[in-house]
Amino acid sequence: MIPDRVVELLHGPAFMQVGTRDAHLRPAHAWVIGAVVHADRQTVTFFVPESRSARVLSDLQDNGRVALGLGLASHEAYQLKGTYVSSRPTGAEDIALQETYRTEWLAAALQAGYPDEIARPLIRGFAYRPGVAVTFRVKEIFLQTPGPGAGNKMA
Amino acid sequence: MGILPDEIKPAMQGVIPSHVVTCSRDGAPNATSISQVYYVDPDHVALSHQFFNKTVRNVRENPRAVVWVISPETFDAWDLEVEYDHSETSGPVFEAMDMQIEAIASIVGMKGIFKLRAADIYRVISVTKNVDERIPLPDIDEPAGRR
Repeated sequence: MIPDRVVELLHGPAFMQVGTRDAHLRPAHAWVIGAVVHADRQTVTFFVPESRSARVLSDLQDNGRVALGLGLASHEAYQLKGTYVSSRPTGAEDIALQETYRTEWLAAALQAGYPDEIARPLIRGFAYRPGVAVTFRVKEIFLQTPGPGAGNKMA
Repeated sequence: MGILPDEIKPAMQGVIPSHVVTCSRDGAPNATSISQVYYVDPDHVALSHQFFNKTVRNVRENPRAVVWVISPETFDAWDLEVEYDHSETSGPVFEAMDMQIEAIASIVGMKGIFKLRAADIYRVISVTKNVDERIPLPDIDEPAGRR
């Protein structure tokens, strides 16, 4: 089960990135604009821009291995690892959620001290539609906040 | 003439965190953020080894990694395919990284937690500028259209 704090960050203004790998163990990266934790607290859907989804989806169809990293400007960070379930194009409901996420993410970055001339173009400049919703089942959760507990398995 | 273009240098000054994805020998990807990717020369970058974390362990098993960086001046972004080459615990690259990590640690309140153990040097295999993945600056607050 995903802990409350991690759910809060997944639904809130954490920056997120997904990692996958191909059959030759070559890694791939995409940034993530918004995520939803399902009612079972074990399944997560995240959104990647279609323009950056081809390699990630190819990897997921090949081997299903997913790593989703998330963190705040304070360096509080976590990583979820699991197995691919499905993907689909994003719809109106997803896009509305992404709009809210982008607004909250920018507000959090400004509150953390990022100057507007960097935070605004950085965050609002991420293309996000058309997008792809990727669903995976979380198997492991790791603390990644720098410090003595970094890398510890939480669940 | 090396692989890294001059225009990528501002993306390696630690203003905006970068992303790194690695993969263990048994096939588990690992996705994380790092404070800074250091420009070493036109064919090499360095990542800080501060903790014996999963990124460090993975590249010693499987040297391939991907790094995503973004310029705080133009907001152009790049993907770098890199391969772990070796670690340095002294010398000019290590000293420069150590000073920058001290500075970053002071700014973000992580003094005493951030400590450089080694500069991990990676050979750059390819550089790809992100195209059609960033919303043009004049359009970022436009309410309609493809974004």
